[in-house]
Amino acid sequence: MAAAASHCLLRLYEERHELEDYQSGVPRWCTGCGDNAILAAVQRLCRDEQLRPEKTVFVSGIGCSSRFPHYMKTYGFHGIHGRALPVAEGIRMARKDLHVFVNTGDGDCCSIGAAHWVHAIRYNMNMTVFLHDNQIYGLTKMQVSPTSPKGLRSNTTPRGAFLEAMQPLTVTLGVQNVSFVAQAVDWIPELLYDIVSAAYKHRGFSFIRIVQRCPEWLPNLFEPWLHDPERVRLLHHEDGLEVSPTLARVYRNQEHHDPSDIDRAREIASCIDPIPVGILYRNPEVPCYEDLRETDHLRTNEFIKSGLEAEFDKFTVWPSA
Amino acid sequence: MDAIRQARVAFYLTGSRPVAELEPVEGLHFGPALLARYRDLGSLRHDFPAVLLAGAEAAVGVRPLSGLIDDALKEVAHGEAGERISQHALRFETLLRRAVAGGARGSLRALWTETARQAGADEDEQLRDSLDRIIDAFDVDGELADCDAELPPQLFSHVWQQIQHEKARRLASSVARLVHRVSNILRADFARSTEGRSADSLKASIGGVDAEAIDFDAMSRVLRRTANRTTITEERRRRLEQLASALQSYDFEPQAFRFTSCSRALAAWRERFPMLIDVARAIAMAELEIAGDYREDRHDAFFADYGADGLSPEDISMFADYLVCVNAATMDAQEQAALMEILSSGLPIKILVQTDDILEDALQGSARRGFGRSAPHFANMAVGLTDVYVLQATASHLLSCTGRIADGIAYPGTALFSVFSGATGFSADLPPYMVAAAAVESRAFPVFSYDPSAGADLASRFSVASNPQPEGDWPLHEFSYEDEERRKVSASIAFTFVDFAALDERYARHLARVPHAQWDDAMIPVGEALEAQTEDPPDRVPCLLMVDRQDQLQKVLVDEKLLREARRCREAWHSLQELGGIHNSYAEQVLAEERQARRPGPPQEGEAPPEAVPEAAVPATGEGAAVEAEPEPEPSPDEAYIETPRCTTCNECTEINDKMFAYNDNRQAYIADLDAGTYAQMVEAAESCQVSIIHPGKPRDPDEPGLEELVERAEPFL
Repeated sequence: MAAAASHCLLRLYEERHELEDYQSGVPRWCTGCGDNAILAAVQRLCRDEQLRPEKTVFVSGIGCSSRFPHYMKTYGFHGIHGRALPVAEGIRMARKDLHVFVNTGDGDCCSIGAAHWVHAIRYNMNMTVFLHDNQIYGLTKMQVSPTSPKGLRSNTTPRGAFLEAMQPLTVTLGVQNVSFVAQAVDWIPELLYDIVSAAYKHRGFSFIRIVQRCPEWLPNLFEPWLHDPERVRLLHHEDGLEVSPTLARVYRNQEHHDPSDIDRAREIASCIDPIPVGILYRNPEVPCYEDLRETDHLRTNEFIKSGLEAEFDKFTVWPSA
Repeated sequence: MDAIRQARVAFYLTGSRPVAELEPVEGLHFGPALLARYRDLGSLRHDFPAVLLAGAEAAVGVRPLSGLIDDALKEVAHGEAGERISQHALRFETLLRRAVAGGARGSLRALWTETARQAGADEDEQLRDSLDRIIDAFDVDGELADCDAELPPQLFSHVWQQIQHEKARRLASSVARLVHRVSNILRADFARSTEGRSADSLKASIGGVDAEAIDFDAMSRVLRRTANRTTITEERRRRLEQLASALQSYDFEPQAFRFTSCSRALAAWRERFPMLIDVARAIAMAELEIAGDYREDRHDAFFADYGADGLSPEDISMFADYLVCVNAATMDAQEQAALMEILSSGLPIKILVQTDDILEDALQGSARRGFGRSAPHFANMAVGLTDVYVLQATASHLLSCTGRIADGIAYPGTALFSVFSGATGFSADLPPYMVAAAAVESRAFPVFSYDPSAGADLASRFSVASNPQPEGDWPLHEFSYEDEERRKVSASIAFTFVDFAALDERYARHLARVPHAQWDDAMIPVGEALEAQTEDPPDRVPCLLMVDRQDQLQKVLVDEKLLREARRCREAWHSLQELGGIHNSYAEQVLAEERQARRPGPPQEGEAPPEAVPEAAVPATGEGAAVEAEPEPEPSPDEAYIETPRCTTCNECTEINDKMFAYNDNRQAYIADLDAGTYAQMVEAAESCQVSIIHPGKPRDPDEPGLEELVERAEPFL
């Protein structure tokens, strides 16, 4: 089609975007915060994939991580608590030409937004979702979150958290239509970037849980993992991540895992220690909701008006003649 | 040599029949023995009549009547009445087939009703019930077509039309989308303009119900003063308006693009081409405008020349394809030249060249008209052009080629369909279906296809797989008959070009009947004779097994001219086989050389035995193998360094000293300038680093205060 010709033209004249072109302002996150690592990886992805800033949108809810869109020089939508996913779905439905990313935290996604999260997985709309999981409410100064480990003392659980932590990966892998699930840790930037990149390239709902340090409120939570490479298990496969030799030198605890094996993916997902890092599951065959709802109908004024009129007529009380 | 044998050899060599020993076959209505069982075609279930399904998808736009009836029976022939419905349906199918073969035409439902009436369905309640149930189970309808001279143009037009309708629908929807989006830009611009923010416009946009509740003058004043007033340039507005108008100028009328002459099709294409350029340009420009990517300084000049050197195949494939149906017999030199021009042009013109007679040219002394027997060679030649889609088939095989016909019409370039109809007019009462099928069976008109879009090599593009027994010279079939003593005799016989020629009345003079009393071992089957080397004079003469109207077996001698023609036919088939990868001479040559090379022989003097590959040299590729680490030079602990790839961009070090520590292109830290800070800062950075990747090394300035303590603190990070 002619689109091909015009795309060629675009490529011919396109300007190159550098990493700075995606940076906006100085992040207000605490020094040492894992969000910085995620921001760096995502900006790198945008540059490497040459995503056009005006064709890219970051959507977030509420929390430390949800300040993410402010630091990207792209379109952004800093939404309301727990509702990042419905907003992103609306954008995706109306503007299929945009690259849609979602930043959400463990409180935003797994607590107040849990219902939206479950259904977003089922809808499998094409977007990349980063769950910044620092296992604490940071912005409101240290309250327990659904993923906080049992026994964690916080301002809301001074005697320690009573419940076992929720495992976002097992929840995601348990929902119908799941199509991409991965886990990263903020302290291995090379893998973080590779996983972010693979998630972006997957067509469908790409869910990455990023285990992330909070140096302000939980400075020691991940110390044992940070300093013992054996407590991180790298998942590698020809159809998943290929681990570089340099990384393999440090992280020798590895598993050859086929991302199409959902049963093994579920087993891996329930493992807390060592922390599995890599692509747990990928199924490119799952249809995207926006494709299923594709229609030839142009949303012209007349079409919308006639639809609305038909709806209104159902409830109109016509004056008797 | 006795007189009989002398007469046979004389006939073989000269074609003249000594009346005493050999009899003419003219008027005896002999047919090749292998076709005897197909004499009553009307009673046999086969691909015809076919139903050209109305409004169906192109991929299944044609179905055999028998297939439709089978599907309907699966649905309705159950229970007590099942057997009765099946029997009625199959008997009625035969009636319908005979009616169509007899010239009846019309839609399936119309002809069904009419034939049912003639079959007495009005009086026979059970028959009427069976037929009603069957026809109710059909969820389709369409014209019935038989295998005759009319079939090729009818079928191709049908498939072509379905594809064009789908194309028209796609283009119309794409154009409507573009017009809608372009109009949206104009409308949004109007809403931002002074006029758009006038009280009247605002009032009109709200609607009538609550109009009195709002002060639109006040609203207009506020909006004019405060809201974004940026509007598009006058030039862009004009361009968008022109685009919307150009996009709507394309008129898609598939019926207008069907021709019966190559030169007229070419002229029509040339006349219409400037309009196609305008529409293609408008589509490309609109796509850019909608994406917000149109840059006047860059694109104006480009679009000014758009289409000057023709349109790209992607552009052309959006528009209607042209269909040309011509008969080889009526093509003059001008038409042939136009055909050649089209074939080498790459234009989306699909040409059906129909041949009704492929034996004409082979006849001695015949005045050559049209392509005649050269039609097959013409299709071969088109394969040589490399970018033309080519399909050669006979009318009898068209139904099995429907997918390939649709592919050829959808192919974004020129397509040539060479079809032999079988309606030669010289095959007595034999139906065209039988003649066409025999042409494929005898390799006289093999089926092949060449699809340039299927891959980069011949193996993916060219196929002769649809021919019977494609790996052999001729298809072999079992033939059984009873001899004089009523014993069953079976033989495997090849169906050759001679069998096909024997169907044609004009070739009867190349055949001579041998009286039964004179049958002997010196008469060998044609297939065998074709394989043997020619001898002079021959000991044995070729004969053809034929059957007369009383189903009596006859042996018929074949003369040398006909045999020579069969050999030519086989040569042509061999070259097609090679193209299709069967008995490819290059491959066979390489295979022979390889076999020769691998043949074990005594080791030559001085030749060392092949060395065993050391185990360590074999890379470990086993599943589950961990990724092996590469040895890397260890940095010196005396030098300060950062493991940059492991940096998590946490800003700790850059906050301490942003001259000493900086970020690289991936926003990961490195030591930018060691002299830009103190050793104390270096140690502090190492201690603060979240992932402990800063290694401070040894102090550079021995006079720095508190060095002893700093060295102690740096120790864990070296």
